[in-house]
Amino acid sequence: MQVISILTLILAVLMLLIGGKRGLVAFTSVLLNCGLLFLTITLIAAGFPPLWTTLFSGICLLALTIYMGTTDDKVANIAFGATLCVMFLMLLLIIPVDHLVQIKGFANEQSEEIEAFNLLIGVNFEQLAISTAILSTLGAIAEAAIAIASGLAEVVEQDPLIKREDLYQSGRNIGFQIMGMTFNTLFFGMFGGNLALFILLNKLQNNFSYYLNSKIFVSECLLVLYSAVAVILVILVTTWLVVRQVSRKQFR
Amino acid sequence: MSRKNILRFLAVLVSGLCLYLFTTHDAFLYQQPVGQIVQVSEGTSQKTTDEFENHDQTHQQKLTVLIKNGHFKGKKVKVKNTWSNSGALDQKFHLRQQVFLDLSHKTGQPTGEISGFKRDTYLVLLVWLVVALLFLTMKMTGLKTLLSVTLNFVIFLIFVNLDVQLNLTHFFWLFALSAVLFTALSLVLVIGFNRQCLVTFGAIFSGTVVALGIGVLVLNYGGDDLHYEALDFATQAPKQLFLSATVIGLLGAVMDAATDIVSTVFEIKRENPQVGQKQLFKSGMEVGRSILGPLINVLLLIFFAETFAMAVLFFRTGNSISYTFEWTMSLGIVQSLISGIGIALVVPAASCLAALVLKGEKTDASH
Repeated sequence: MQVISILTLILAVLMLLIGGKRGLVAFTSVLLNCGLLFLTITLIAAGFPPLWTTLFSGICLLALTIYMGTTDDKVANIAFGATLCVMFLMLLLIIPVDHLVQIKGFANEQSEEIEAFNLLIGVNFEQLAISTAILSTLGAIAEAAIAIASGLAEVVEQDPLIKREDLYQSGRNIGFQIMGMTFNTLFFGMFGGNLALFILLNKLQNNFSYYLNSKIFVSECLLVLYSAVAVILVILVTTWLVVRQVSRKQFR
Repeated sequence: MSRKNILRFLAVLVSGLCLYLFTTHDAFLYQQPVGQIVQVSEGTSQKTTDEFENHDQTHQQKLTVLIKNGHFKGKKVKVKNTWSNSGALDQKFHLRQQVFLDLSHKTGQPTGEISGFKRDTYLVLLVWLVVALLFLTMKMTGLKTLLSVTLNFVIFLIFVNLDVQLNLTHFFWLFALSAVLFTALSLVLVIGFNRQCLVTFGAIFSGTVVALGIGVLVLNYGGDDLHYEALDFATQAPKQLFLSATVIGLLGAVMDAATDIVSTVFEIKRENPQVGQKQLFKSGMEVGRSILGPLINVLLLIFFAETFAMAVLFFRTGNSISYTFEWTMSLGIVQSLISGIGIALVVPAASCLAALVLKGEKTDASH
């Protein structure tokens, strides 16, 4: 625990020095999110249904990340609405796909780590896999939604009578700019995090068909792909929400 | 919707359908025997309770599988399957699902068991969904963003392969080198090769190096209560492996922050060349401040979510909170923390470098 405490302290000091009061708020949001995730795991382990627990903590996570991550309330409201929408859309995608593709639980490559355990523990591992997928997309869509909503707010501020089509175009432009970098963040975050797995797979000298079908590789790929879909969706939904709000105001 | 858009939409839809049909009938491409389940009969169920009062149920299934390729193509084989309600390492099979088989034959009649589930259809279709969404919403420019990710993935695999081939003692430096390459490549693809790109690269490089330095110092001298051996799938020196994974893991987020800051500062200078150095630095810090929290949260969620299944397994089998935390989550947390320090450090690095470089330009312009 000592290493973690020292690193946490360093991060807190750095964020305070760099961001001042906002840095402190941002640090608190990271800390609260961490606590919330830990609570989610303990609740699921205590027997609460994984899907509903995740849905609940997911909404809390989004609210924390977005409302503590931006000072503009209008931007935050739109970003929160958009991310909630996308979270439910993603559930509609992830629940059936995860059921069809059967990537729940552990893979054969992990058998060494889990051989000491009795695996019949009465927890629905399929729902747990869905929880993992949903939660790992939330950070990325929250960040993307804030970026688009604040970018578009600036566009509207400069030209309050902007046409619908132009606003859609701006949304697409801003979306395109942030998408590349968000994909990079996700890609490096996930594949970098799984470096050891990739080295192991390479050592096992597996062939192409193994990669297309193995539980562990497919499940890691699906996490990246789900996040990519979620980011694209959140760009569309956020732009749509901003346009709707602006055209309603113009109509008045 | 215009006619062109409808045509585009139809083309994408048809391509998806083709991929589906192809991947459900691609058994001939596989070396291993592939079969399709044509008959399922449910057997007996059994309730189980372990010493921690976890209730579960296991079930027997008898399956008839039609072999779809190879020597025994067209023959049927009977196999047994056991699955549990929780499904940590097993699964229930349904009619028409495709599976891989381990076959043996003694008297010309194949016998065997299921060795794996065929997942290629779903993986391919999800890749298709991402490409289709990008194409439909952003046309060709959307596909360009995929190029950078794909190139990086190929380089990543090359370096992983190099690592396995060379088997170096200090393989951390190999992955550090790969991180430099990833950064350079991604930045050139996104920004183009110019001064802005160099400034961004400098900021990322210095921020990441300092963050890692801090991380290594704390890991070495801050006590030895971290279990590197808890690292999943570790086949090499786990501490170096952990540091390599951390470098690559934080790269994307640091790049995100640095490009945002540097491009904003350059944009301000372009629109208003009279802006002073101090003001430029301040604007850069302002951008950094607003993205700091959300970016760290992105990585935290990625690193944390992956530990879910293992952590639940630990909790349900009578392990204490602190033991579970130490063995399943602490490495992910440390990784998030070092990444957070990197993201935080790149904010002043990028603001400072951009402001410094742009100061020189002002004197040039005034001559």
